[in-house]
Amino acid sequence: MSDETNGAPERFAIGISFGNTSSSIARINPEGKAEVIANEEGDRQIPSVLSYIDGEEYHGTQAKAQLVRNSQNTVAYFRDYLGKDFKSIDATPCHNSAHPQPQESTVAFSIVDTASETPSTVTVSEIATRHLRRLKQSASDYLGKEVNAAVITVPTDFTEAQREALTASAKAAGLEVLQLIHEPVAAALAYDARPEATVTDKLVVVADLGGTRSDAAVLACRGGMYSILATAHDYELGGASLDKIIIDHFAKEFIKKHKTDPRENARGLAKLKLEGEGARKTLSLGTNASLSIESLADGIDFGSTVNRTRYELLSNKIFAQFTGLIEQVIQKAGLDVLDIDEVIFAGGASHTPKIAQLARNIFSEKTQILAPSTFTGAINPSELAPRGAAIQASLIQEFDKEDIEQSIHPMVTATPHLKNAIGVEVTSAETVEFQPLLNAETALPARRVAQYNAPKAGGDVFIRVCEGVREIKVTKPEPKPKEEKPKTEGDEDDSDFDSDEEEEEIREIVWKTEKPIAELAVKGVKAGSKVELMIHVNADLGLQITAREVGGQNAVRGAVQAA
Amino acid sequence: PALSEGWSAEKDFKAVGTLSAATQRNLEAVGPHFLAHARRKRHHRTFSEDERI
Repeated sequence: MSDETNGAPERFAIGISFGNTSSSIARINPEGKAEVIANEEGDRQIPSVLSYIDGEEYHGTQAKAQLVRNSQNTVAYFRDYLGKDFKSIDATPCHNSAHPQPQESTVAFSIVDTASETPSTVTVSEIATRHLRRLKQSASDYLGKEVNAAVITVPTDFTEAQREALTASAKAAGLEVLQLIHEPVAAALAYDARPEATVTDKLVVVADLGGTRSDAAVLACRGGMYSILATAHDYELGGASLDKIIIDHFAKEFIKKHKTDPRENARGLAKLKLEGEGARKTLSLGTNASLSIESLADGIDFGSTVNRTRYELLSNKIFAQFTGLIEQVIQKAGLDVLDIDEVIFAGGASHTPKIAQLARNIFSEKTQILAPSTFTGAINPSELAPRGAAIQASLIQEFDKEDIEQSIHPMVTATPHLKNAIGVEVTSAETVEFQPLLNAETALPARRVAQYNAPKAGGDVFIRVCEGVREIKVTKPEPKPKEEKPKTEGDEDDSDFDSDEEEEEIREIVWKTEKPIAELAVKGVKAGSKVELMIHVNADLGLQITAREVGGQNAVRGAVQAA
Repeated sequence: PALSEGWSAEKDFKAVGTLSAATQRNLEAVGPHFLAHARRKRHHRTFSEDERI
């Protein structure tokens, strides 16, 4: 199949997101857009499940359905076991499928995966290989060309051993891992690679709400490059926590009618889980969901409905845990909710409308909440990671292996980042205001250019380049109608909103000059014209500063040596 | 910002301070802008040199 050119087979790469609950494959389509590929069953979110009957292998949704009748030979939730020893894993998610067991230094499953009766011991690495092989096959079938390389997303807390185990598993499945990238960064890239997106400096929170675990990360995006400032993980929170609410709700209803608990019977519980998850997903789209299960317990059929209001009421506590995770990661980064420019919701549980709405209440008006229920241009949260991986795959697939290795080498990624923002002081009337030009956490070297209005009358312009820090100014509500606050002019815009929330204190970001760096003068500027300022910061913290009148010939330049 | 009276410096530029120490962080090796950064770093090029190529 593979085209041989110059002895080396041509590389054909896709993006893969490999999750505990589900996995996805994506590629860049001929129009240059990232596109998630459906497998032969039509699934874009392919359950990370493998099941065996009479030696035949089932994968994805088909395997997941086997959790009811063939749970002992069905392997699920295995990604986080890769590259780990048995003692360090949490086997809870596998209660209803094949149980993990120790096997030398790794984890294995005992399953009947051949036509014979005796079970064989299959390591988690081998399971991952089989899973990846099926994903590769689905992608190859769809694209009509053998896929032989991939960029795979991993959580930020994946250890070196886990990364190596995953790379080895992929290799055994015939996939060259070009790079492992972090899930939150892939999600951010999926948004930033849209043609309508512009490169800006921003702080982004990525909330990756998965099936059995949830992760949050704060990213500093500076000039299109990402640095992770903080991460937080919850290994028990996810879509499964919400499924449990639904399961308990219906189980109670069943008990009321028939006096037996379907959860006590393994098969009954498996059926409830499968259908409960479906009902929960329906509630993310519609306001009503029905559930019907044949022979749930004691041979009794069960049918019922639940509406979204009821579900949201029951799930309040879980929703609060999701938003709590987001607040926790911001705190960990030493930031305030006001600092956050974007919140990206990723992962399956992010489809839940209420979670995004609750997040909306936490953040200020200017923060963009990128979820289907709060932003019309939102990308499907389940597709963010695979799309990001596909974009990265398309960027590096032409590179030589050496080139990739050198580029992602710590020598390149370890980079000094600005501690404080650099900007200029803008004087208007009596107030002196600091305007940031390079934000804190900008990776060096960096360069920024900005234009400032010169005084109306023209003349000589004085520029003072400073380091600045942002502070959160809290204005306590005043008992009588608001007076104009003493400082900045920007406050006037907000005064309309104040009337109905008199009770709340007003928190805002103010900039304070920390220390001056350099002073420049541009002389003889024409009336009404602009002054352009360029600041270049070297990796050694030295600066080059250039200022000139827009359209003018004479530039003022100078350099500041590093401390 | 207008020039205050009596301010003068050689070539109209005066360095008055230095930057605070930077924090070492890891960049995420993802995206077109990072790849451009990696290219510059590996070949020891500056921004303007990179643009010319």
